[in-house]
Amino acid sequence: MKLDRDRPDDEIPTSSMADIAFLLIVFFMVTTTFTATRGLDFALPEDDDDPPVVEKEESVLVEIMPNGELIVDQDPMGLHEIIPYLKPKLERNPKKPVIIRPDIATPYRFMVQVYDELRQWEDYGLEQPINISVPTQREIQSFWY
Amino acid sequence: MKLKATIEHKPNIPTASMADIAFLLIIFFMLTITFEVDKTQVTLPKTTLRYEIPKQSAYVSIDPNGRIRVSDGTEQSALVSAADEVLSMAAGVIAMDPQKVFVVKAHGDVDWLKVDEVIDALKRAKVRDVYLLSDQVTVDDL
Repeated sequence: MKLDRDRPDDEIPTSSMADIAFLLIVFFMVTTTFTATRGLDFALPEDDDDPPVVEKEESVLVEIMPNGELIVDQDPMGLHEIIPYLKPKLERNPKKPVIIRPDIATPYRFMVQVYDELRQWEDYGLEQPINISVPTQREIQSFWY
Repeated sequence: MKLKATIEHKPNIPTASMADIAFLLIIFFMLTITFEVDKTQVTLPKTTLRYEIPKQSAYVSIDPNGRIRVSDGTEQSALVSAADEVLSMAAGVIAMDPQKVFVVKAHGDVDWLKVDEVIDALKRAKVRDVYLLSDQVTVDDL
């Protein structure tokens, strides 16, 4: 019996595999966009029709003017002076609300700056996070007195 | 004198592992790729504290002209005409997933009133977790 020794081996052609793989890599490299995926968390309180009344005297009001100027409890103040000013008050009452109230024409970045600063309470030796509140215009018109 | 026959070696680059390396790179890209649902060009405010935003968060963006775009985190963002439309979109998203995280991506120079309207709409829609998208403060900014 004559055996057929010339039969080619069965194999999968892989010579173009690297080409295909590199084509896919190029696709991913072209379509990948590096975007900012980090930010400041800003937990919203429950939208209550009858929120707890905060006495003005109990809270600290941080007003932000359109030019970025800060008025804390009626006094102009620098960004890094806020927590040192708040510190003795917060040591007496750690739950003391700090209300951030930007003017409607204030650029958004100034509000974020102040919020970011108040979130860095640990750097100033405080033991608890600051109770920050940012009322919206609707809430100010509805509940502010 | 009898010269020893020289054996010529053809120079070659070993390419046997090239496909393996290529597929490793593909797997890396496939795992790290995130499809951007909002392509609004804005200059973000800068903050010292920045936390990782969960994937597939819903987006509300405000461009330098005050135009608002919204995305539920799965589809490309769409332009809306007023903050009230943010409320209806957010309410719909929260009805499906009460834990959904929303990201506010606003240009740093837009008036607070514009951002205030968006935040108020999110509050009314019972959104709990919001992130304010920001860039990192650098030494030059201090």
